[in-house]
Amino acid sequence: MGKLMPLSEAAALVEDGRTVALGGNSLSRIPAAFSRELVRQGRRDLVLIKTAGAYDIDLLCAAGAAAEVHSGYIGFENLFGMAPSYRRGVEGGTVRAVEHACYTVIAGLRAASRGLPSQPVAGMEGTDTAGLTGFKKVEDPYTGESVYMISKIRPDWAVLHVQYADEEGNARIDGGEFEDVLMSRASEGVILTAERIEKRAFFEARPERTVIPAFMVRAVVHAPGGAAPGSCFPFYDTEEAEVAAYLEAAGGEETLRAHLAAWEGRDRAARWPLKDSPA
Amino acid sequence: MDYLNDADAARTAADQMAVCLAREVREGEFVFHGVNSPLPLVAIYLAKRLHAPGAVLIEIAGAADPRPRRLPFSTNDPRLCEGAAAAFSNPDAYDLFARGGIDLMFLGGAQIDKAGRVNMSYIGDPGAPKVRLPGGGGGSVIMAQAGRTVIWRAAHDARTFVDKVDFVTQTGRLTRIVTPLAVFEMREGGLELGSVHPGASPGEVAERTGFPLNVSETIPETYPPSAEELAALGEIDPEGVRYSEFAALRRVKR
Repeated sequence: MGKLMPLSEAAALVEDGRTVALGGNSLSRIPAAFSRELVRQGRRDLVLIKTAGAYDIDLLCAAGAAAEVHSGYIGFENLFGMAPSYRRGVEGGTVRAVEHACYTVIAGLRAASRGLPSQPVAGMEGTDTAGLTGFKKVEDPYTGESVYMISKIRPDWAVLHVQYADEEGNARIDGGEFEDVLMSRASEGVILTAERIEKRAFFEARPERTVIPAFMVRAVVHAPGGAAPGSCFPFYDTEEAEVAAYLEAAGGEETLRAHLAAWEGRDRAARWPLKDSPA
Repeated sequence: MDYLNDADAARTAADQMAVCLAREVREGEFVFHGVNSPLPLVAIYLAKRLHAPGAVLIEIAGAADPRPRRLPFSTNDPRLCEGAAAAFSNPDAYDLFARGGIDLMFLGGAQIDKAGRVNMSYIGDPGAPKVRLPGGGGGSVIMAQAGRTVIWRAAHDARTFVDKVDFVTQTGRLTRIVTPLAVFEMREGGLELGSVHPGASPGEVAERTGFPLNVSETIPETYPPSAEELAALGEIDPEGVRYSEFAALRRVKR
């Protein structure tokens, strides 16, 4: 069975209650179209894993799709301020925030990717974060130094938006990789949304640039503009007016529904194979 | 110094803060800024232009020592990686911190106390918070690992500078804090006034600080931006990224 499928079919793979690592960072190369599709399908109780997040996380919180967010930072940076729905969810008790540093999310993912129950990290001493989240210390058996161990984070799915993929799931990322490659190794399954679907020959020419090999990937979606209103280097920048419009819309049920409806055309415009398909 | 409402005062404060932060960067150092860090971003490139051309920026957007053509408003915009000869991912950057490879990091903070501890997580009880803040990013790990940490905050009030933070997100080798009004220095007994910016007085600063400050000694005035510094600021940051942290100057209304 082919892995290339429409956005709606790929999103349907992620069932209620699953743990999902979302790729990209802040407003860069985020799986935005995929997140919107999860909301349209009424997904609930998701456990979200992210180092530094903004639109994707906030949207899933706004729609009541997220039960937990394990993260180092959730916010829209200075230009737009705090993440309103995430904040409201945590303050109202509907979203559980699991306090991490970005590096402890990375450590948890590394543990899973290496088949280990936990992974040590340097730092954390003197913080309340360690106590609140329940990070435990051990004594290094060689030096006697005390070190925090971060329990493995094994997502059911890594959902990653990349610039290039082929129909089998080979993927290339341009610009910052963030934690995407690590997430692909730590998770049970990988779903890719891609700006462009290329022929296998594209990847054969430079296999060392294929940062995610096809055998890890379960689904591929052709999703040009799939990171919008975030950026996807080098194809497009963040659409600031659209981010601002989302933040306006996020607070109300009706306005949020309108936001999703307004994006639906863009999200589902892509169809593969296209008429000028290279495949 | 009404930087909250007066655009000119805000511009002056932002320029002063940018040069204060730039002066913290020493030649040859390895430097890091986080997400949501417009002033440090501008300051690092200002230092590289002026007194620290050999400083190496480990760019959180994913590169080692890039040379971007222009500075964007988001401080993990992929364009910040332009002109880099080497990509350097986030996990790589955090690993470099862990093995002691970063000399100076710039860090923000929603709430900071006299002991230099920083809260980026919760106002009130974390179990039932009054405010859920964004979280500390990499801070709880990397503040303990950087050679030294300089904090900046584009607000100076008793809500920010408190006697004791509600939650310790991060703590480490804090040396200075730069605000729109003053520079704090970490001394043995905790944070004290290092200098007060032109236009502000030690008394005003003490009044707007939630922990006690010793203002009985003479507090020096911060060196204002030199003509050279101001000219370089204008060249590096013509779009005014450094102003985006001030409500009076914000480009996008919120």
